[in-house]
This record gives sequence, structure tokens and C-alpha cells, in this order.
Amino acid sequence: MGEALRRRKWLIPWLLMLPGLLWLLAFFVIPNIRMLQIALSEGTLLTGFVGPPEIWAWANFPENVARFAGNFVNSLVYGGLATVLCFLIGYPLAYTIAFRGGRYKNILLFLVIAPFFTSFLIRTISWKVILGNDGPFLAVIRDGLGLVPANFTIIGTPLAVTAGLTYEFLPFMVLPLYVALERVDKRLIEAAQDLYAGPWRPGGTIAGALIGGGVAIAVGVGLGYARFLGDGADLMTVLFWGLAGVIPGILVGTAMISQAFLRITFPLTLPGVFAGSLLVLIPAIGDYINAELLGSPKTQMVGNVIQGRFLNQNDYPTAASLAFVLMAAILIGIFLYARLLGTEELQNATV
Amino acid sequence: MADETTTTTLLDAGLSRRRFLQGTALAGFGAFLAACGGGATPAPSGAPGESAEPGDGGEITGPLNWANWPAYIDLNEDESASPTLEGYQAKYGIEVNYVEDIQSNEDFFATISPALQAGLDSGWDLMCLTDYMVARLAGLGWLDEIDPANVPNAVSNVNDNLKGIEWDPDFKYHFPYQSGADGIGYNVKSTGRDLTSIADMFDPAFKGKLTFLTGYQDTFAFVNLLLLDRGEVSNTPPDMTNEDADKVYAFLKPYVDDGFIRAFTGNEYLQDFASGDTWVALVYSGDLASSGGPDDVFVYPDEGSIIWTDNFCIPKGAQHKRAAEAMIDYCYDPLIAAQMANWIYYLSPVKGAKEEIIKLDPEAADNQLLFPPPEVQAKSYPQPNLTTEEDAYFSDLSAKLEGA
Repeated sequence: MGEALRRRKWLIPWLLMLPGLLWLLAFFVIPNIRMLQIALSEGTLLTGFVGPPEIWAWANFPENVARFAGNFVNSLVYGGLATVLCFLIGYPLAYTIAFRGGRYKNILLFLVIAPFFTSFLIRTISWKVILGNDGPFLAVIRDGLGLVPANFTIIGTPLAVTAGLTYEFLPFMVLPLYVALERVDKRLIEAAQDLYAGPWRPGGTIAGALIGGGVAIAVGVGLGYARFLGDGADLMTVLFWGLAGVIPGILVGTAMISQAFLRITFPLTLPGVFAGSLLVLIPAIGDYINAELLGSPKTQMVGNVIQGRFLNQNDYPTAASLAFVLMAAILIGIFLYARLLGTEELQNATV
Repeated sequence: MADETTTTTLLDAGLSRRRFLQGTALAGFGAFLAACGGGATPAPSGAPGESAEPGDGGEITGPLNWANWPAYIDLNEDESASPTLEGYQAKYGIEVNYVEDIQSNEDFFATISPALQAGLDSGWDLMCLTDYMVARLAGLGWLDEIDPANVPNAVSNVNDNLKGIEWDPDFKYHFPYQSGADGIGYNVKSTGRDLTSIADMFDPAFKGKLTFLTGYQDTFAFVNLLLLDRGEVSNTPPDMTNEDADKVYAFLKPYVDDGFIRAFTGNEYLQDFASGDTWVALVYSGDLASSGGPDDVFVYPDEGSIIWTDNFCIPKGAQHKRAAEAMIDYCYDPLIAAQMANWIYYLSPVKGAKEEIIKLDPEAADNQLLFPPPEVQAKSYPQPNLTTEEDAYFSDLSAKLEGA
């Protein structure tokens, strides 16, 4: 046996890959072929589905994508925004843990993943209470500070859905970023500082303030306020959201952004950014729990449609075609993203 | 601190009441879990796929595989066991595999239909499903006939008002398990007024604080009552047509578009009442009384209400059909029926149960949920009774309304 293997060296990598390949075949390739087959079918659960090779209902794809275009847009917008927000919140967090954590590093990392010890359903439902009409958040900004009108609501708005997604997937961003930051050789930073990459205080402060404030206003006004009430936002609310972003932006920018950071640390951690954003974006786009629990009929994502079509309408072809389109879109997106950043970055990110 | 207070309020509103699970806040969770877990349901013993021949040859054999809704059976004080199930086991000496596996009629239908369509055993001997779903199963020929000789209690004790139902007038395929009603639930502190009619739900003051139920069976039928009252449609809920559904859709759509109707929910409305995000909602009769807060009120609206019944039925190919019949008969003993009703707070279909309930708990006699007054009963209608084509049309409309 050993002798035979030695003579057929080319076989060894294939043998080592065999379990993985079989796994992929059984649990990815075959189910996907079956899903495509259902996506191309016609009929109902009661009459039975007729699909390939008898019928090739290619029209299912354009029809369903057109009909549920709004849900696709919701998925992309909320998922994309959640990814950006996870990055903006997660990077300073990972940076602090990696560079300033000291002996508390392990405890801080544990705290990042601690929410996973509670079911995510319970956590999402808890947000309903916290952001709810009688909850503590509105008690402060509406009743206490009087910043928003009496009929202001968070639950049921796109803001709530995006916030829920951001919260839920933040650890997926923080952990790869932390790993990438950990691996940055501190001597490189010192060397850069020796070579006149000094602090950049006003720049960091201003950049942080602009990023924080701009994102907060865009998210708060665009998603939460104007779209829900439909009448545009009043000045107080805009100022409130702006301040909510500017203040942490200034703090983070001042503490973190320096010339050495821009020239050394950040470029070296791009693989972590890449991995983290994929780990957040992919599940966030497919998520339906947040839209279901925190949203309204107008904020339903494509995951909600697939869920409803499968379980309530028993309309398998529609559900399968939507799921297939979603998966294909994500795969193409990842492919383009990987080409953009280079596959080496992808390999680094997964190390 | 505020944080803590709110959390406590929610817990008080729910967990401290013995029947927090009642009605199903958990049904919602369960549905999600099932959906997340790829719909994995624990397979009952007697795996699906065995031959469709009755396996009991006329003897009562076990175990009895019974699928039911969550929190839909009586429990003892520490909620560790069910007196009814224990009594049955003692009487017949067979195990009951009681599984709370039904979170929605449609979801459950999706799990059993492949086996039944192929003529195989679904793995269940007894199921409790809502009228329209039993009618659909019976229409498809997927139910076993119940032998009247094996269920003498049920034949003689079933309430007269449940007799002669259109799709199964002679109880060939079903016997009622429990009934309940749809009505208006509201938090009187938030609304600052009493509501008496469906029209009251659309008071401009309630914008963004109103929810309805998912699916068409409750919401479409209920709004149809409002349109009937206004003369905009002419059919009562059980006779609704596609045109009536269009009118209901046209009526509700603007309210959804401008955010007046905040959501379509399952029993999660219990949480929304607790958090103050829902002031007014279409609710099931027993839920707020058992699991809501002190300011949450249930009313039967002036325009009428929707009454539904969950029914025992036996799927074709059940391996322990005699045991299932024995269970139906056992539950139709007025003493047992009273014992169940007094815990789960729905309407018992059993003659004589009322007297037994009052014997158990004299205060229950005034409970409108257990005993709806005659003027309410006169205006109660069943859910729409639809053909499969109409059903597809209605569910498509309701899905559109729900944004998915």
C-alpha cells in the first residue's frame, strides 16, 4: 500500500481532499442541482411539481426577480449598510483590543463573543423591548430630551432592521479584524514613526468626525426618519443623529488615525477587512429574522419572501428560484470582490 | 436602570403567568426555529414511509403519535405532566407520544403532504388542525374515516352547534378539539378609549400601532366583516370569493403603505403589547386574558367575529388508528373536557363540559372567553371555506400585503 502510494504520488493530494470533495458533492452540489430543478418547475404542492426534463420554466427567474425586486433592494441596502456599520464600529474595537488591550485582551475578546451564549432569537426580541415604544431608548431621546416627536417610532423602520443586523453580525467582523491586527508587526510601526510618519492629530480628529457624523446622519435620516414618516426630518433630529456620530468619530479618529496607521497598520489589515466584510455581508443579506421581528411589511427582505413562499404558500418553485438568484448574486459579488482585492488577500484572510 | 425596568415589565407580563406559553408566543419562536433548522421536526416513532395498511388490526395498540399545537393541553401544577394524557395512559395502558409540532397549519401541512401524497404513513396517528385544513385534507382523501362505533362518547357529546359542518356533516373524518374566536385586542391605557367595532381599529390616533394576523384566514375574514357592515361586499366570511378578497386587499393596502398597519404577526403580538409598540390588534380570544398585561382588553366587535375550531383527524395510513379513536373518545368525556378547558381557556366542544367547568371553578361561569354570550354567538362566522385555486389566490394576496 505504502509502496503503491509512493509510486503514484499524484494521488495523495486527491486522497486528502476526498472527504472534503465528497462532502461538497453531497451537501452542496447535489442539493443545488435539485434546487435549480425545483426553480425551473411549475405546479403546486397539491397537483405536484413538474420540472426538468419535462418542463424548463426559465421564465420563473425574471418574473420572480421583477416581482420581488423591492425585497432584493431591501436585502442589499440593509445588508450592505450593516456591513459598513460593522466595519466602522468593529475596526476601532478590534484595534483597541489588539493594541491597547494589555492583560485584559482575553476578557475583552470573550466579551465580544459573549452574546453568542444567548439564542439570537432572544437577543433580537430583546431589541424589540429596548427600542420599543415604552423602551429605555425612546424614554431618553423622546421623553427625556424631547429630540423627536411623540409619534416617533424605531420598531418597524428600516433603521431598526439595519441596527439589528449590525448588532447580530458585529462579532463576525471583529474577530477577523482582531486576528489581522494582532499579526501587524509593531516594529514596522515604530520604524515608520522613526521615518517621519508622525501623529496626524487634527487630520485624524477631522476625518473621524466627518465619517462618524456623515454616516450617522445618512443612516438616521435616510432610513429611520424620513422614510418612515415621509415628511422629511426636522433640524433637531438631524443634529441629534449628527452629534451621535461626530462625538465617537472624534474620539476614535484622534486616538487611532495617525500617519503610521494610514501607511502601515490599515494596509496590513486589509485581509481582515475583506474576510470580516464577507462574513457579515453574506449572512446579513440572507437574514430574515431581523426584518421579521424588528421590521414592518415595507422592510421585508428577500429571505422573508423565500421563507414565506416555502412554508406558507408552499410555492416551492418561486422560493427556489429566488434562493438560487440570491446565491448566484452573492457568488458573483464575492468573485468580483476577490478579483478586486486579489486572491492572495483572500488566502491571507483565511489563514 | 430604565433597561432593567422594561425587561422586568415584559417578564411580569409574561413569564409570571402560568400560561405565558399559552397561545403561543412560543409557537412563533418554534416556527422560526423550525425554519432555521431546515424544518427539522423530530420524527415520531413509526417512521414515515412504512406501509399504509392500518397496523393495529382492530386492537388498541400504542404508542399513540399525536401532533398538536403548543400549550394546547392541560398540565399539572408544576407543569411536568398532563393529567389527561396520564389518565389515558392509565386507562388503556399504552404510551402517548404527544408532540407539540404544529405551529401553523400550512407549515405542518408541508411536513406531512409528501408522505400522504405518496400513499405512505405520515408517522402520525392523530392530529389537531383547523377547519379549513381538515377540509382540505379530507378533500384530498388523505384522512382515515373515524369508526363511530369506536367513539360513542364523541358521537353523543359533541355540541349541537358544531354538527352538520359543510365539508363533513356526519363526522366521518373529524371531531372538534377546541374552538376559539378572533376579536379586537387593545391596551386601554394607550388608546385612552374603549373600542367596540372593527371600524374603531382605524382611528387615526392608532397610526403605526395597529397589527393584524398573518395569513388570510383571520385577517381577510375579519376585515370582510367590516366591509359587509358597510355594504361594500355581500358575502359572509365563509362564502368569500376572490372579488371579496380583492376588496379586502384594496381596503388594507393604503393602511399598510403609509405605515398605519405596522405589522402582520403571529402570536408575537403579545410581546408587542408588552413593549407598547402595539396598541390595537386582531387577536385570538384567550391570549390577552391569559398572557397579556392588566390593561390589555379583548372585545368581540359589533360587526361580528370569526370563530374557528381545531379538529381531531386521523391521517391515512395511521399505524395506531384504534388508539387515536380511543383518545378522541376519552377527550369527549365531559369530566376530561372540563379539566382541559379549565386550563387552556378555549371553548370545549363537549356537551356537559360547561357544568363540569363551573363545578371545578364557579367563577368561570362569567368568563366570556369560555362562554361567549348569545349575542356574540349569533354574529360569529367561520373562516373562509375555499377551493384550492381560491386558497392560492387568497394567500398570494395576503403575502403581497405582508410585503413578501
